[in-house]
Amino acid sequence: MNEGGILLAMTYRQLKRYFRAKSRLIGTIVNPLIFFLFLGMGWSFSLGGGLSKQLFGGIDYLAFLAPGITVMTIFTSSLVGGISVIWDKEFGFLKEVLVAPASRTYAIIGRAFGDSLTSVLQGAIVLCMMYLLVPGLKLEGSLPALALGLVTALSFNGLGIAIASKMRSPEGFQLIMSLITLPLIFLSGAFYPIDRLPSAAKIIFYMNPLTFAVDSTRYFLTGVNSIPLIADISALIILCIGFITVSVRIFERSTIE
Amino acid sequence: MDESAISARNLVKKFGDLIAVNRVSFDVKKGEIFGFLGPNGAGKTTTINILVTVMKPTGGEAFVAGHNVIKEPIKVREKIGVVFQDNTADRYLTGWENLYIHGLIYGLKGDELKMRIEDALEFAELTKFKSVPVKNYSGGMMRRLEIARALMHSPEVLFLDEPTIGLDPQTRARIWEYIRMLRKEENVTIFMTTHYMDEAEKLCDKVAIIDHGKIMAMGSPEDLKNSLGGDMLYVKVNNPMDEIKEFAEEIVRERIALSYRLVGDMVAFSVRYASKAIPPVFELANTFDIKVEEIKYTQPSLGDVFLHYTGRELRDEEGNWKDLIRMRRAARARMRR
Ligand SMILES: Nc1ncnc2c1ncn2[C@@H]1O[C@H](COP(=O)(O)OP(=O)(O)OP(=O)(O)O)[C@@H](O)[C@H]1O
Ligand SMILES: [Mg+2]
Repeated sequence: MNEGGILLAMTYRQLKRYFRAKSRLIGTIVNPLIFFLFLGMGWSFSLGGGLSKQLFGGIDYLAFLAPGITVMTIFTSSLVGGISVIWDKEFGFLKEVLVAPASRTYAIIGRAFGDSLTSVLQGAIVLCMMYLLVPGLKLEGSLPALALGLVTALSFNGLGIAIASKMRSPEGFQLIMSLITLPLIFLSGAFYPIDRLPSAAKIIFYMNPLTFAVDSTRYFLTGVNSIPLIADISALIILCIGFITVSVRIFERSTIE
Repeated sequence: MDESAISARNLVKKFGDLIAVNRVSFDVKKGEIFGFLGPNGAGKTTTINILVTVMKPTGGEAFVAGHNVIKEPIKVREKIGVVFQDNTADRYLTGWENLYIHGLIYGLKGDELKMRIEDALEFAELTKFKSVPVKNYSGGMMRRLEIARALMHSPEVLFLDEPTIGLDPQTRARIWEYIRMLRKEENVTIFMTTHYMDEAEKLCDKVAIIDHGKIMAMGSPEDLKNSLGGDMLYVKVNNPMDEIKEFAEEIVRERIALSYRLVGDMVAFSVRYASKAIPPVFELANTFDIKVEEIKYTQPSLGDVFLHYTGRELRDEEGNWKDLIRMRRAARARMRR
């Protein structure tokens, strides 16, 4: 069965579509930036330098927030990308894949990979802005942060595909997006540190895959973190394999019913 | 089995209580254009979905290009090209990009791939528009692109689900032209569905009339029409009713016509050949002192055949109305995106 071909085809398609859909490109960048500006600037001024350093492990609130905003960008964009497989169903492109003598596993991996590359690119754009707006972020942390960003993107793209498979029509798209993205972001430690939370609340944070992405990215960019790096990375890689496997399983069973 | 490109045996597909395909059996010879003619909801798309391995039948079996569609779906997929009823090209990509992706998916690469793309574009007469996003294509351009795409990997069997649905008459004629050309140049077997009688009549070597999931009649368009017993001869007369009846009955008795019906002020005779029946009808009219005001005849259309075998008319209005709803729905969904 043709594996390399369909992997390349799907990656190519997702990249082409990304560069043609300007509105999606801008949309998933604007949202995190709004959070950054209004939440970040507001708290940063209210807290002032000293108090802020005490609360956020020795760094300024903006520096604390910057990794969260970067991860938020990658996360939203990859989840949207995964769920958008529902449009492929609605508009028939999926049938073109299902009727081909090609590996479906590689089809969905190629799709997820292409999407994830675009999500990381979005993240990189936001990260550049962070470097411009926030003094003191570690420049050498950018590459490992984006590399782990790719793992994060693949995970949530896989999750998105799994969610899409449970949706009968694209109608609920917006609702699901806001029901999933906002809670996950707020419960990830992107906006405030989780160290001082009561342990019951901490468990909720640890169950959220996004927590590990935020924590590790924060470590790469600022040197501050609350979970050991090796735990973050292991958790993300396991999640990534898990979600991608689930989405592959689901996609392989697809027929048109 | 070697002779047949497609052979279906007692295919059944149920959706809950609904039997969408009901014990359908047929054979398509290699190189033939075989058509499924039926109204909306007849089970045409469901049958295609089963044959192209994207849907499992509830019962029965089918072979395409010598392979079992249930047990060897990959083998079948290698040998077929499919144009689905709804467009499946990626609207945000250009014609060239859509063909490129298709080629990669089917294992083409390098110069071979580039060459086949150019050939396909030329065949679809879209070379000039190869860098235009498909969402800016007209319905006809889109359909041509999809047909050319389905042929890019040289399939043995081509499936076309309502190839001209929703297109204007000129565009439809052009697509027909295109399908005929295909058969001549590509040596491919074509299985197509349609709810347009003229399309089935003009294109297909063999037609199966399908209604409510059942094949009601099958044969060449000629044979199907002949199976109705020949032509209809309409004679407009101006006489009292009892005289007309006497005259008509005499004609049937003389075996000039097979049967007659009174339709308004016309007598409709069912005859084998209208041209042969007209002189004796005139003769008898003279003998019976019947005043013939007008005489005309029609050859049965596939529409009459459809009416005969299903007891219903295959009305294009109904089709168009449903097509319109379908297209509106698709357009709305597109705008939402
Ligand atoms: N996935 C499905 N679930 C339930 N019912 C279905 C499904 N697909 C088709 N049907 C029903 O099966 C019947 C046959 O549908 P099918 O799409 O095969 O008809 P068709 O001949 O292609 O008609 P059309 O001209 O509308 O395309 C219809 O009554 C349809 O509503
Ligand atoms: Mg149909």
